[in-house]
Amino acid sequence: MQKTDQASPHAHCAPVDPDRELIHVDCASHTYPDGSVGIHNMCFRVLKNEIVAICGPNGSGKSTLIEHLNGLLIPSEGEIWIRGKSIARVERGDLWKEVGVVFQRSEDQLFAPTVLDDVMFGPLNLGLPPDAARQAAMEALESVGAADLIHKLPNYLSGGQKRLVSIAGILAMKPPVIAMDEPTSDLDPVHCAMIEALIVALKERFGISVVIATHDLDLAARIADRVCLVKNGAVYAEGTPREVFYNTTLIEEAGLILPGTVMTWLDYCRDTGTEPVEQPITRQELVSLLRRGIPGQGR
Amino acid sequence: MSSSMISDHIPDIDLITSCAERQDSVFSRVSPWTKGILLVLIVLLITICSDIRVLAVLYTLILAACFLAALPVKKIVAWYTMPVIFVISLVGIMAWTQPGVTVLSIPMPGFALTLTDQGILLVGILLLKALIVVTYSLFFLMTTKYAQFSALISRIFPSPLDQIFLLAYRFLFLTMAMAAAMLKAVRSRGGGVIRSIRMQGHLFGEVFGLVFIRSFEQAERVEKAMTSRGYNGTYTASTTIRKPRPAEYAVMGIAALAVVATFVITPHAGGW
Repeated sequence: MQKTDQASPHAHCAPVDPDRELIHVDCASHTYPDGSVGIHNMCFRVLKNEIVAICGPNGSGKSTLIEHLNGLLIPSEGEIWIRGKSIARVERGDLWKEVGVVFQRSEDQLFAPTVLDDVMFGPLNLGLPPDAARQAAMEALESVGAADLIHKLPNYLSGGQKRLVSIAGILAMKPPVIAMDEPTSDLDPVHCAMIEALIVALKERFGISVVIATHDLDLAARIADRVCLVKNGAVYAEGTPREVFYNTTLIEEAGLILPGTVMTWLDYCRDTGTEPVEQPITRQELVSLLRRGIPGQGR
Repeated sequence: MSSSMISDHIPDIDLITSCAERQDSVFSRVSPWTKGILLVLIVLLITICSDIRVLAVLYTLILAACFLAALPVKKIVAWYTMPVIFVISLVGIMAWTQPGVTVLSIPMPGFALTLTDQGILLVGILLLKALIVVTYSLFFLMTTKYAQFSALISRIFPSPLDQIFLLAYRFLFLTMAMAAAMLKAVRSRGGGVIRSIRMQGHLFGEVFGLVFIRSFEQAERVEKAMTSRGYNGTYTASTTIRKPRPAEYAVMGIAALAVVATFVITPHAGGW
């Protein structure tokens, strides 16, 4: 795990394999028109074929970072690279082709009168002819399991259906990276599970890198390859979910609460005097550990 | 959320869109060009014609077309409330100033208010004119898919007027949905539009203002979401417009002839 130095601009960007890097945001600062600082000294990378979770409390800069990835916001100071090229050289308008954003409120994204029209919007902007755009939209809707909603009006969809259609609207553009802002907020457990499975499928079936901004650490623990803790507009620490979530001090300092599984396991170990040598990160891992017996303890 | 939550007397734009998207009557297969040109001809006709019989026939024809297209005619009639109030508020006074055979006279101190047959006729004519345009416009919107409609607008208006028109149309949806949400909140705690205005005028005024502020805020978020999917000020039409078929040209020709004939023949016909 790497804990970043928030005091020194640019010094925090550790080198990575350039062949794996898709997006690199090196934002010395982003200041909103009212003077409030959105993010500062932020180094954030998206690598090929990974799920990276940006975790942080409300107001920590998660959404601001997501908007930088897509080019909706540009650093006041700093640079954004796409596959090693600075967007000063790459057309800024091309960023949306690289990173699709699924917004937190689906109502903000679904603006067209029908589901099909909305999902076709991105492909048409990519310059696809109407028939090809329709085909791309149909395929995306089928991929997310929402093909039956094609002629529905977005206003009459449930929250879960709206989220699926929002994802289809981005998937239809086939970007190499999809960023989702709070993808499971306001959803019932069944739809949460659907979205979670879909995020994994985006990576495994389509080879898309997925960035999720969330304060649901259990979700991050289950599906993320890498976790970035964000605090006060900067990446506070990053590493694998196991590295990050078993550092209780770090989680506390970031203003978060441990994932349920980790908390349960650590409570159990403390109550039974067991040394937490093994570190289950998901419920399945915990159950598996309990089934086979905890090392150093009789059953 | 449906905007019909606001009132049964305000057009439900979700229902209008839903009808347009699900429409499979013969009218949905008519080219939007034909329907658009007919709208222009209808406006011309009612501008030059003041014969109530011609207007009544035209209104009946449009209403019949609504029935044939299986549109919700009862709802459409309920939506007449606003145009009727608008016309009455304008013509209500004029009706009492028309010369003609006295139908009703109300004595007032120093003078008498007199309603004549011509006054009543004037109200009837102007009401019919308004309802013809309203009904046909709704018929047009409810039988034309948005994709076709937006393609038509893009062809007719130059940029950026077409973009303004199309986005303003979508903004209407946001505002209506927002108003419906606010009214739902008012009604859920025993309030109502009229009651709230009467009892809590200031509060209701604030709520009314908030509808617009929130709609603008949401419009900004929608614009951001559109930009993130490549919107650069040009709303790309997702379809091409169907060309009119020979039969449609014939209908337009007949309608144009009817307008010319009305202009020439009708005794009440005026200038442009």
